[in-house]
Amino acid sequence: MVRTVYSPEYCLQYLEQYASKEIFVIGLILGQTTSARENVIHLARTPDEKSSENASETSYPLDKPESKTLVSVSEAWVADHAKHVTRMLPGGLFVQGIFITSDEDIFEDPNCFSKVKSIINNIYKAMSANQYMYGNCPYTNERLILHMSTSTKVLTCKSIEVGVGSKNTVIKPVEWKFLPKAQQWQRLDCYYEFDDVYPVVVKKSGISVKQQFQQILESAHKTIETSIMFIDGELKDNTEVLELLFKKKKSKNNSKTTQQELPKSMNVSLFVPFENALPEAVEYLECDGSIHFSGVVSSSVFMFPKATVSETIAAVKQDIIRSLASRFTMHCDALIDDNLLPEEKVCFNEPPRRVLVPVGSLYLCDYLFPGEAPAEALLSVRELLDLQITEADVVCDVETPADTSEFDALDRDTSSEELLATPQEASQFMYITGICFAMFVLIVSIIIHYYDSIVEVFSKIIAKS
Amino acid sequence: MSPRLKISNYVIERLSNIDTNESTGCLYGLMYDGTLLVVGLSLELFENEKNTYRQLLLNLPAEIELCGVVRFGESFTTGTTMKEILQDVDVTDNPLVMIVNEKKEMKAHFLVHDKFEETKYEVLSSDDMWKQFLHVRLNTILPLSCEATISGVKNVLQNKRKKIASGQVSFHVDGTSVYLFGVASDVGLTGTSTEATIGELVDSMSPEQPKKKKHNTNVIEIVPINLVLKTTKDILSDKLVKTAVKMMTTQRKPAFCISMPLRIDTLAMIHRNTKLLELYTVLVEAACRSLRLLESVLLEQLGQEGIGDGAGLRLPESFHFLPQELGHFVTRVVPKGIPDESMEKERRLMHEQLGIVQTRPVFRRGNAYSDKSGGRLVNPHEAITPQPLKPDVTIALVRGRYTYHHYMQDNFNDDGWGCAYRSMQTIFSWFRYQGYTTVAIPSHRDIQQCLVNIGDKQPSFLGSKQWIGSTEVMFCLETLLGVQSRIIFANTGAELQGYAHDLVHHFQTHGSPIMIGGGVLAHTILGVEYNSATNDIRYLILDPHYTGPEDLSTVVSKGWCGWKNSDFWNKTAHYNLCLPQTKPAI
Repeated sequence: MVRTVYSPEYCLQYLEQYASKEIFVIGLILGQTTSARENVIHLARTPDEKSSENASETSYPLDKPESKTLVSVSEAWVADHAKHVTRMLPGGLFVQGIFITSDEDIFEDPNCFSKVKSIINNIYKAMSANQYMYGNCPYTNERLILHMSTSTKVLTCKSIEVGVGSKNTVIKPVEWKFLPKAQQWQRLDCYYEFDDVYPVVVKKSGISVKQQFQQILESAHKTIETSIMFIDGELKDNTEVLELLFKKKKSKNNSKTTQQELPKSMNVSLFVPFENALPEAVEYLECDGSIHFSGVVSSSVFMFPKATVSETIAAVKQDIIRSLASRFTMHCDALIDDNLLPEEKVCFNEPPRRVLVPVGSLYLCDYLFPGEAPAEALLSVRELLDLQITEADVVCDVETPADTSEFDALDRDTSSEELLATPQEASQFMYITGICFAMFVLIVSIIIHYYDSIVEVFSKIIAKS
Repeated sequence: MSPRLKISNYVIERLSNIDTNESTGCLYGLMYDGTLLVVGLSLELFENEKNTYRQLLLNLPAEIELCGVVRFGESFTTGTTMKEILQDVDVTDNPLVMIVNEKKEMKAHFLVHDKFEETKYEVLSSDDMWKQFLHVRLNTILPLSCEATISGVKNVLQNKRKKIASGQVSFHVDGTSVYLFGVASDVGLTGTSTEATIGELVDSMSPEQPKKKKHNTNVIEIVPINLVLKTTKDILSDKLVKTAVKMMTTQRKPAFCISMPLRIDTLAMIHRNTKLLELYTVLVEAACRSLRLLESVLLEQLGQEGIGDGAGLRLPESFHFLPQELGHFVTRVVPKGIPDESMEKERRLMHEQLGIVQTRPVFRRGNAYSDKSGGRLVNPHEAITPQPLKPDVTIALVRGRYTYHHYMQDNFNDDGWGCAYRSMQTIFSWFRYQGYTTVAIPSHRDIQQCLVNIGDKQPSFLGSKQWIGSTEVMFCLETLLGVQSRIIFANTGAELQGYAHDLVHHFQTHGSPIMIGGGVLAHTILGVEYNSATNDIRYLILDPHYTGPEDLSTVVSKGWCGWKNSDFWNKTAHYNLCLPQTKPAI
């Protein structure tokens, strides 16, 4: 059976728009593979290489963007684009391949095809670098190549295998279908919460933020992989189909509604068994610092309604880890100094927070650094997804930026142990002075109150004597 | 209204056998269905200033609480201790006061509006108790990491208890899809109906016919439970704080820190009719009780000389004991790797508190209750239908647990020569189960090596298929366990008859299995029945020549474990018996 891919119709217009201008364009195919169906959700043109601007200043002043061809494309640049776009994808969605509009027949021209292969393999390699990004779709090793000829406007889609070495690459035909109606998606939401405190050895050299984040990521990955997932408060059978879960519920509650309307969102909860492979011994370390990692990762994944529960569980787990990995990478890339606590006593690291951006009938995401406005998200959507959205479209409230006053409170909390001894002594002192003062006030008030009689008594005594 | 009162048969037995100078004891019980069931007791030791009953409660399964006081003597004479104890009774508004006089007559009173009202009670037989009640066993590991100070450990454990009590944790019944949720979730449980009871769940878990179950009345049902932590927040919750993930690093004075996997292994005793929905709070309490017990062991270690900074801190390990005379579980937490021998003081205190004889180990690691026997049958003789008691007949049996070792086990073919080795292994297992040793059960080769080492056998004996006899068994027990044995020599099977009293005495005082060998095959004797009127003797034999699978009904019905008349012994062959002796120990 020929692999079939379903795509929203606007993707056709998107391709035609470039093809009609007869310009060479390369971009990424974003989509979801499930056992039930393979869906494409978006095509995103790879932005023009910025370094070419630098280059134009020096050696190629006459180089114009239109003259760009497939052969001149930098594989690393496209791979970089794929890396950045993957950060914006919720779990379950992947870069499934590339699209190209050009006038050559990229499948026949050996030069072109070897370039295409090289780009695909470069993306694969770049994505493999960080396993926690889940850049490579785990369900298939066949990547899509979609081509629209600028001269004939003919659309061809094929697939090649990645990660198998450079023997004879098998090229398989793929059927690309456009859906006239927008695809429905089942949304699943959860908030995954972190709250871990653990001691660390700071020593004089400080500790690397990158390493610390890497450790957090590794342990989070382990934990999340072992966790059990409930959908709408119930443990579901792995083979069940999402859509049917809802139908069952509905038919139970009110049989009148025959219309199969999908719920807006399903709630996901994760349960972590405490049992894990810890060494059966007491570890003993001299520590001079502690790390508190806390907060939430909001997760919204979008599944093809006929996807199974196990596919959904995998997508949610990927989403949380991928989001964590994305934030950490972005945070560390922006760091000037990777060293925590060289001098300071307390150090905060606030990775960027997640916001949602609408793409077609679902949401992808972006990350905003503390202090960044939602408008920043518009930029990345335009740059990386080749889409125009407005500031109002950005969903900013799935997560809130960290409140530094919260940190201060925590800081006081942790240092309170050391302070414990002193306030007690202090309060004892306060207690005694308080009593003395109260006594003084009492005496004064008595004197004032009985002033007349006291004076009288005194005057009598004086008079007597 | 004061509750109905039932007292477990075990408590009645213990009260009538107790011999103590103390005047006061504590009673422990659980409430179910408007009834107070007394399941345990302890003595208030005069010289012990600590609130022993408060500490002891941590050693009991959850749901069992302090419920009253027992006075030894004729009258109430309410002393201050008694008042104090009664004030600590939370499980019922009407604390129980029992009076046991010197004639061991017992009277029960409820304290109602500061007045003692005598009340009737029903004695719950042990069979009925095990039928009506079961245990849930919560197992989980909490990662613990904190400063190696007493306050550090206290704080972190208090936080753990808070977390467990906060409703965020959920419990999962092993092997089912039943999850129990706390207040943090909008449903109480999933995977079964909200009306389901724990008893129904247990019955549905085992595919056996209920009929078969009724036979094994002494089978203690333990439902394994694990703990899961909800790591997601409910989106609809009002308290949802959506602050994005962040990291704070604080530097402070260098301090020694410890981190360890803290294993919670705790029990709760509940009635079979308890609704699963009600189980949640029981499990929370069980977990908190376990954490308190673990805490006390950690703190005790931290307070000790030399490991004050935590460097020598050892992992606390939980063991559950079910001493025959108590009829309820006692959980002890001991530091890993500390030999039992160096913790005798603690055990002695516990023996005294619970009024257990101080002549044999009860709370050593080896005594711990375990349902694991490496696939071997445990105490197969208990499945034999007991004979009705007759006058003039004395029955003396092996005391405590042992495993049945026989031919062809461990994938090792010893058919035709290994019977004495297997008999020895059965004896060895008995010494392990009774807590006398933690040495692993020796293989055939280990036994041969031991005999070569002590010079009893030539090195060529190693790996051979030579038989061994009672004396070799005696040598090995002496060398490997330090156990001395008495050897009885009988010239003929008929002469054995004359040793009936010796055997009865052996089982009554030592209770260990006896190995019998000699001119013919070796067997294990697990008990004797002596009729003083007819002079008849019957022997309870465990036959190591069995080669079949570990199937209790075959073993019992085919007589591999069963009562044999004295004609079982060959009239002409000579016999050697090895009677392993025990020394008084705790």
